[in-house]
Amino acid sequence: DSHIQYERVGADVTMKCGSMDWDAAVTWTANGTDIDESHLNGSYLILKNVDLTQSGQYSCYEGSSWHLKYQTYLRVGTPPKEPVLMCRSNNYPKGFYCSWHLPTPTYIPNSFNISVIHGTREMVCEKDVFPKNRCHIRYLQLFSTVKYKVTLTVTNALGKDSTTLTFDEFAIVKPDPPESVVAKPVPNNPRRLEVSWQNPSSWPDPESFPLKFFLRYRPLILDQWQHVELSDGTSHTITDAYAGKEYIIQVAAKDNDIGTWSDWSVAVHATPWTEEPKHLTTEAQVTETTSASTSSFMPPPTTKICDKGAVVGSGAVAVCWTAGLVLAAYGVLFI
Amino acid sequence: GDSWGIFTFLCAALCNLPALPALNCTEELGAGQSIQKTYDLTRYLEHQLRTLAGTYLNYLGPPFNEPDFNPPRLARAERVPSATVDLDLWRGLTDNARLAANYRAYSRLLCYLRALDGQAGTAELRHRLGHFCSSLQGLVLSIAGVMSSLGYPLPAGPAGPPTSPGTPVAPNDFLKKMDDFWLLKELQTWLWRSAKDFNRLKKKVPPAVVTLRLEARGF
Repeated sequence: DSHIQYERVGADVTMKCGSMDWDAAVTWTANGTDIDESHLNGSYLILKNVDLTQSGQYSCYEGSSWHLKYQTYLRVGTPPKEPVLMCRSNNYPKGFYCSWHLPTPTYIPNSFNISVIHGTREMVCEKDVFPKNRCHIRYLQLFSTVKYKVTLTVTNALGKDSTTLTFDEFAIVKPDPPESVVAKPVPNNPRRLEVSWQNPSSWPDPESFPLKFFLRYRPLILDQWQHVELSDGTSHTITDAYAGKEYIIQVAAKDNDIGTWSDWSVAVHATPWTEEPKHLTTEAQVTETTSASTSSFMPPPTTKICDKGAVVGSGAVAVCWTAGLVLAAYGVLFI
Repeated sequence: GDSWGIFTFLCAALCNLPALPALNCTEELGAGQSIQKTYDLTRYLEHQLRTLAGTYLNYLGPPFNEPDFNPPRLARAERVPSATVDLDLWRGLTDNARLAANYRAYSRLLCYLRALDGQAGTAELRHRLGHFCSSLQGLVLSIAGVMSSLGYPLPAGPAGPPTSPGTPVAPNDFLKKMDDFWLLKELQTWLWRSAKDFNRLKKKVPPAVVTLRLEARGF
């Protein structure tokens, strides 16, 4: 008969050859290889200070008849240390998920049990098929004052440990990063880059729970990021890019009012529009800003700022500063 | 693009002409602006409350000021209006119901908070509480303003004195502190909820939308 035996790293293990007497003549094998008699105490096999390499199948055979008297599978491992538990709501207000892992491997099978208590009610955290160490919960109520208490217990043959997280509904809200970030140069505008993105698809209700965004960008050659916070809309035009330099751009999202910022989105690269070399004039390159600029400004005769051709489908962004003044006047009257 | 600008310019001009009192477009304009102001006020209050609650809970002492403190909700705490609501129910609230819930909640919370004011420990704390109460009163008035500009009746006056008959005063010091703890918790949760409530209302009555309601008399 064979079974599994779990032992701690560093322990001393004594294996008996089933029901055989202590003074019986036996031979032990480890994974088919004979074990030297020096490890035997009578018919007992003594393994001192076991390590992971000694895991394997141990068999005991009666001396002369070579009958298999006992077989065991030795698994050397450690009891679990305190697991790492994380809970997060990336789909507010639908619910949240918790995921966990062990800080160090145990080398033997572990089982995890998670309990979620909300006030007096025990909630069921449905285990995800994949990844395995994750479960999710649907909120039954919104705007709760009572904290959620999540306890994760990890158990194996050598011991157990647990960890508990207690949190408010609002504290764990953290959306996924924005998706489909796209950055494009703007034709005939050497200092602009048009960036657009989408709400993360996991955020179920951007209408009632709008997201705000944080955009950061820098030319590859510099270390310093520039930041813009946007309270609505999923696009932004950078107007102060260094001409001809490749930029790296990222966006993050956050619920307008609660929780924390998402991780940064995948980085996108873009370089502002530059004139074709054969069309370069002898004058300085056009620098275009919508606010007063301190640099000297010499438009080449071929391009005009307020040219119809310069406005290419960029929506509400004012490209002509005189038009901007008129709109501002309207706005003042309106308020 | 251009026609929208001209239209809003016209409306703004018309609404300000004293010769045309029959035009009601200032009311809808007002509602949109008030909703935004109310939203901003909830965010301001939520921010203020974080500091105030921290100070007050420290004054109450442990375990109330411990971050993991998670006591069971006692029945007596139910008189403080709760922001907790079923998700679908919350989504389905009419504008009137949504505003009324906020109005009622803050009116009562203000009452309870004022009662706290008189007993708080240090002068500094009393001063902070007083300031917060004034701001909270501003919020109640702001909500009332939104309701009336949208033509909704104000809910019946706030509950009487904080300790209405049937709800006994806390029998001991610890339970009194528990009451204070839950009051601050509910207030905090309401402010988080209100941000979402007013977000929804903002979408329904955006400041840019102007409806001209012409009285029969004028036109």
